Amino acid sequence: MVAQAGDRPHRRLLSWAGRATLVAALAALIALPLLGQAAGPEYGNFSAFGLDRRGAVWIAAQLHLMFAAFVLGVPMFAVAIEAIGIVNKQERYDKLAKEFTRLLLVAYSATAIWGAILVFLLSTLYPRFWTYLTAIFAPSMWVYVGLFFLESFTLYLYYYGWEVWKTGLSKRVHLCFGILLNVWGTTVMFIANGWLTFMMSPPAEVTADTAPQNVRLWSALANATWMPINIHRLIANVVFGGAIVGAYAAYRFLAARDDEERAHYDWMGYTGNFIAIGALIVLPFAGYWLGREIYEYNQQMGITMMGGFMSWLWIIQAFLIGVLFLAGNYYLWIGMGRIPGAERFQPYIKWMLLVLVGGVLVWATPHTMIADRDEIAAMGGTHHPFLGVLGVMSAKNTAVNLMILTTFLSFLLYRRANKNPVVTWARAGTILQGIAFAIAAAVVIFYGVYGYFVTAIVRIGFSVYQVGAVLLTIVFVIGLDIAMMRGAESRGEIRWGQMPARSQYALLILAVTFTWLMGLMGFARSGIRQYWHVYEVVRDTSEQAFTPALGPAATMISICVLLFFSLVGLIFWLGGLAERSVYRSPMPAPAEPASAGGR
Amino acid sequence: MWKTNLKILLTVVGTLSVYTLVANAIPQVQSAVPEELTIGADVTPDELAAMGGEIFNGVGGCTACHGLGTRAPDLLGEIGTRCATREPELSCKEYLYESLTNPTAYVVEGFQPIMVDQSRTLSEPQLWAVVAFLESQGGTIDVTADDIGDLSATAPATGQQEARDAQEVDPKALITTYGCVACHSLEGQGGQVGPPFESLRGKELEYIRRSIVDPNADTAKGYEAFAGTMPPTFGTVMSEAEIDALAKFLRGDGSGEGGDDGDGGDGA
Repeated sequence: MVAQAGDRPHRRLLSWAGRATLVAALAALIALPLLGQAAGPEYGNFSAFGLDRRGAVWIAAQLHLMFAAFVLGVPMFAVAIEAIGIVNKQERYDKLAKEFTRLLLVAYSATAIWGAILVFLLSTLYPRFWTYLTAIFAPSMWVYVGLFFLESFTLYLYYYGWEVWKTGLSKRVHLCFGILLNVWGTTVMFIANGWLTFMMSPPAEVTADTAPQNVRLWSALANATWMPINIHRLIANVVFGGAIVGAYAAYRFLAARDDEERAHYDWMGYTGNFIAIGALIVLPFAGYWLGREIYEYNQQMGITMMGGFMSWLWIIQAFLIGVLFLAGNYYLWIGMGRIPGAERFQPYIKWMLLVLVGGVLVWATPHTMIADRDEIAAMGGTHHPFLGVLGVMSAKNTAVNLMILTTFLSFLLYRRANKNPVVTWARAGTILQGIAFAIAAAVVIFYGVYGYFVTAIVRIGFSVYQVGAVLLTIVFVIGLDIAMMRGAESRGEIRWGQMPARSQYALLILAVTFTWLMGLMGFARSGIRQYWHVYEVVRDTSEQAFTPALGPAATMISICVLLFFSLVGLIFWLGGLAERSVYRSPMPAPAEPASAGGR
Repeated sequence: MWKTNLKILLTVVGTLSVYTLVANAIPQVQSAVPEELTIGADVTPDELAAMGGEIFNGVGGCTACHGLGTRAPDLLGEIGTRCATREPELSCKEYLYESLTNPTAYVVEGFQPIMVDQSRTLSEPQLWAVVAFLESQGGTIDVTADDIGDLSATAPATGQQEARDAQEVDPKALITTYGCVACHSLEGQGGQVGPPFESLRGKELEYIRRSIVDPNADTAKGYEAFAGTMPPTFGTVMSEAEIDALAKFLRGDGSGEGGDDGDGGDGA
């Protein structure tokens, strides 16, 4: 067996010692306020590197969240890929899963370090708020800290046992460790989500007069936005993890020294992108549920978020999601250049591009213009006479659903590019798939137009029909395609590795954009609390009580993303040090991938 | 490889720069924070309406719904003319005040009951200032200082302000609720940023009250390094009954000790 850098005992010991120290420090910081030993006034002072106390906590929290999203997202699809490898008995899936898992080792430590920094900053810079929070959530914090041990143990068993428990029943037991790792990670996330959602949507019985000791823990945890955030983050972690491993593969592709290595990382990059974009398709629905729960909890908060001073944030989001859709599809379209038989689908690309660009433009159209009296007079009202029509949810829901359909079509064409179906009903099946797409598009457009003629409360319900039509179509078409492509003839093997370098930069842009979007959405979630630490319960009386405008917020987000990718670059480099020695071991050259995009 | 690394770095930095520039290019709006209003007994209607206008267009967040005509009725230039006609038993200002504090009591036809009780975020003076502003929109302002009541209570009210005033309060619970032990110790437990509470035993009641509501008025000997640390907001977030109960507790009422006006006060 080839020696692997991560196997060295002294590194494991150091990693263990580091983690144990962090856990002990975290435990102390949770305990101290309970003992009434918290030192410091309502707010601590902080001024370093041009940051104030809020900026320091912002960066620590954001970096912790980025790494946490990575270490929670990757195990989900690593386990799934390992399972695929067990089922179809192709070792390359197993190696891929293990390679993903290797990235987790150093990332776990980074997550813990930033988490500890965050706790240090909160307890010293916001001692009164920290005291309030720990008075309510202390038991859950103990559980949270304890789970770190379980998570770490399980990760070590999962990773270091990979080559030992490689076949038969042992392999299935190994897979179970992977599943257990996901269970611990998900539980850890659910607990932390309880704290931050409590800040946003505390239960109605908790008021400014309620002593924190009298707040029921479960009621505080399971508040109105807890489960929507849980689901949204579960899916988003998969998206984010896929994007980061895609960026890792892009980096390794660009640094590859031979065709075999390039082919391997081309395949990995495709897989990462597939995971990211595939999960992204369902993410908006979770976000919609979260938005709806915010409205249900407090209409004013919801309206402030969507129509008040934060409304322009959603235009920025639309711009970024437009970049995601365009870059993701662009990567697939370039990738079709290495698939024999894909030439026949080239004419469709310009139409798909047209739909995507049109969709992005509609989605990025603002509704509420910030205008002075003269501008309002010139426009003839508070909204632009033409753009105002496109700036509402009817148009935007229509646009995004069409963009999702188009992206799914890109994947479908990619998957079928080098195959000739041999079933007798292939032509009928393909026509049926086309009809399904047409029906879905018709439903989306119909309810989009109809929405202009009904009241808001009715219009909101139409989005369910639009989304339902798209999801049903995706499920139906995939099911039909799997049946239709059984035993399909190959037009030729995918020429993995024969991708132009610009495709890898598309993957990098995707990863940066996903990360920035995560920062933007975090700002939205925190910002709608405005001048409250806990909404309408614990007031923010510091000099940073105001929610900053989008410009300064964007600058902070960019700083966080740059820091994150600097650290991730270091992790990739470390991963590369280990991987080179492993990669040189004999392994079969990637044949046609068995799953999406290859068969 | 360094060329590739440089291209990767430029890709990342370039992407971030684009997003930062786009976000800085759009109109910049930051949220407002409620500030205490200084309202004298001789405040004029126009002054009150001006204060209310600032709240309406700023921290009150009213323009998110009112003014678009879709989520809530348009108010600017109009509401003053019809407020007295909505509910016959209520005068204009009574109706407007009810609309702010109990918005679902009367919902204008064609709109949904989506507005929340504004007394959770705005204080009584702020609420009445908004009423005055709304009255000025096509109508006559008749809000006076008498409507506002206790002008010293400029804190953002909670729905239970009156209840807190009416009930007996537990001083020790107050010390916990307001986080006093973060800086002061009681019975040996707590912080050491401010003097221990035991040092206030026997002090004059007025001195102790001043230390709570205006902590910068005095600095305890030995705590000069922490001068200015104690928040000056307790006078606004705590009710009169709470301040009174706490001050008496800290003085050690029932101990029979007289006051000496020493310098061991609280408040850094």
